[in-house]
Amino acid sequence: MAAADVAYAPPMKSGKAGFEAGLMDPQHRIRITLSSRSVKNLEKVCGDLVKGAKGKDLKIKGPIRMPTKVLHITTRKSPCGEGTNTWDRFEMRIHKRVIDLISTPDVVKQITSITIEPGVEVEVTISDP
Amino acid sequence: MGGRGGGGGGRKARNFATFRLFPRAGAADPNDRVFVRVDNNDYTVPGFADEDSFDPSLSDPSAGDGNFHSASGPLPEHVRREILELGLPDDGYNYLSHLRELRPAAASSFVPSSTARPEPLPLDVKAYDASRVRVGPSDGELDEGKTMCKVAAKTAPVRRIEKAVDPDVVRLLDESDVSHVGSEDEGLEEDFVIIANRAEGEELEEEDIEEWNGVLSDVEEEFDFEEDEPKPRVRRLLDEQFDLLALEEYGDSDDDDRVVKDGEYELPSEAIDELKLFQSQNVCVDEEYRTPADFVRQKVDSSTTDEVDESAHVIKKCAEYAERYLNETAEEEVVVLVSESSDESEVWDCETIVSTFSNLDNHPGKIETPGIPRKRLPRVFPGETTTTNDIIKLHGKEKLPVEYLPQRRRNGEKEKKVKPVEASVTDKFKKGAEKETKEEKKARKAAVKEEKKEARKAKKELKGLYKSETQKAQKVAAVTGPSSIRLIYCGKHFGLFEIMT
Repeated sequence: MAAADVAYAPPMKSGKAGFEAGLMDPQHRIRITLSSRSVKNLEKVCGDLVKGAKGKDLKIKGPIRMPTKVLHITTRKSPCGEGTNTWDRFEMRIHKRVIDLISTPDVVKQITSITIEPGVEVEVTISDP
Repeated sequence: MGGRGGGGGGRKARNFATFRLFPRAGAADPNDRVFVRVDNNDYTVPGFADEDSFDPSLSDPSAGDGNFHSASGPLPEHVRREILELGLPDDGYNYLSHLRELRPAAASSFVPSSTARPEPLPLDVKAYDASRVRVGPSDGELDEGKTMCKVAAKTAPVRRIEKAVDPDVVRLLDESDVSHVGSEDEGLEEDFVIIANRAEGEELEEEDIEEWNGVLSDVEEEFDFEEDEPKPRVRRLLDEQFDLLALEEYGDSDDDDRVVKDGEYELPSEAIDELKLFQSQNVCVDEEYRTPADFVRQKVDSSTTDEVDESAHVIKKCAEYAERYLNETAEEEVVVLVSESSDESEVWDCETIVSTFSNLDNHPGKIETPGIPRKRLPRVFPGETTTTNDIIKLHGKEKLPVEYLPQRRRNGEKEKKVKPVEASVTDKFKKGAEKETKEEKKARKAAVKEEKKEARKAKKELKGLYKSETQKAQKVAAVTGPSSIRLIYCGKHFGLFEIMT
């Protein structure tokens, strides 16, 4: 793949001219799934990851926002059966973002170890390119 | 996506690996996370989460995590210092890995318990329990080495000293078994001074010795407290120094024959003679108070002529004595003044002293039985929410101040109400908000109606019960108060209201 790149030299984004050297062999498709209950933290982590990956000149498919899952719980307010029947409607929102990269697993480990935010769950799926 | 071979039949080839970031087990920092494999596929990704000793700091030195992976070799200095500070041994093992930091939310401020064991000794103090050491008179044997051995044999190091609640009490409690020797004899005779000075013999002094012995502490009990005790052993430099000091402080007291003990001193012989005289006179105490002048002027009940004479000369004699006393002090006779320690009177036994804390500082409460909780009128009157506080509104046919009376809940009727309502719960939700309020209203109104019904019933009962009270009170009022006062009985409130006309 490295040789093909050099010969073909497809139009790529700036910053990727010196691509041939420094390529380690096992390039994988990596999917990072971030999920969280708070949007702010999630967006922050996403942004950091994307920035980090771009800084290392990786091919990245930007944060894909999955639809938010809203979990509902509806209960009676009263602990006993007495009283006017009022109900509580609780909800929990789960936000999910997906980032696709093509790189080596080491690099990914680096990136994900730096950006750390509480409450954000990170899942990494590595597959053959 | 690449890697998905397979045709229509089989499952798609699962050649991917999924890792999730988990916080490291036992880690202090919640941000310290590792990748853990969460699927069961065969696909391996070397170098992602395979090793046991996964360390992000190793792969990326710029991460600056601070985790040091050094199983062998000396620990870095700051780690060692921290371990030592915590009191853990410095043996090359990183005990810090077993420590966990308290989260700020979880850890409230640390409050030491007041009932805990007493503090251990500070590091620069060593305590030894020397209660078993016998300090006794050993003839001629004052070899420093031997004494030290003896002492060392009996002492035991003690790791913490228990501070007594009240040192006086503890000290006295310690002596409790010894100090009761003379407690029965505490009542002094009327003329104890005379008796004490009259008996010059050894016996009385022996008695005194016994009494004093009882008050002394355990260690000193070892002494055979005799007259000639003071110098049984070889004099040391310390003894010389002590004697010099004693000389300076207390004057000439080198007499070995007349041993001076605490609280006991010998009166000058003139005083003794006078006292003897006095005792032989058989003075009886009359009801009336008489001065010497009475004897002289009024000649009242004087038994002896001596008395009259003496009374006349009392003043003269007093002056004489005073002069003599002054002269004596000028001549520096031996007058030993000893501060009244009076150990006998200060011995407290367990029955009389409970604590040496005074009520000025210590305010113990009296233990009482809990009273019956009495239901009173509610402090915050529900009627106060209205603007005017001065007007008490009377409602209903009976003109009662409804809002000022204690509300009582009726559980019986609520049960009736709940059942029919439950069935309509699901309906409510289906139909929506509008219909719900109608149902709610109906239910509420029904509840109120029920309550009022019950209230009426109860009131009728009560009225019947207390009818006689009204008549009685009216009788009383007829006798005492003005006739314009008419008393009526009001239902809920157990009292009678007056109607002022």
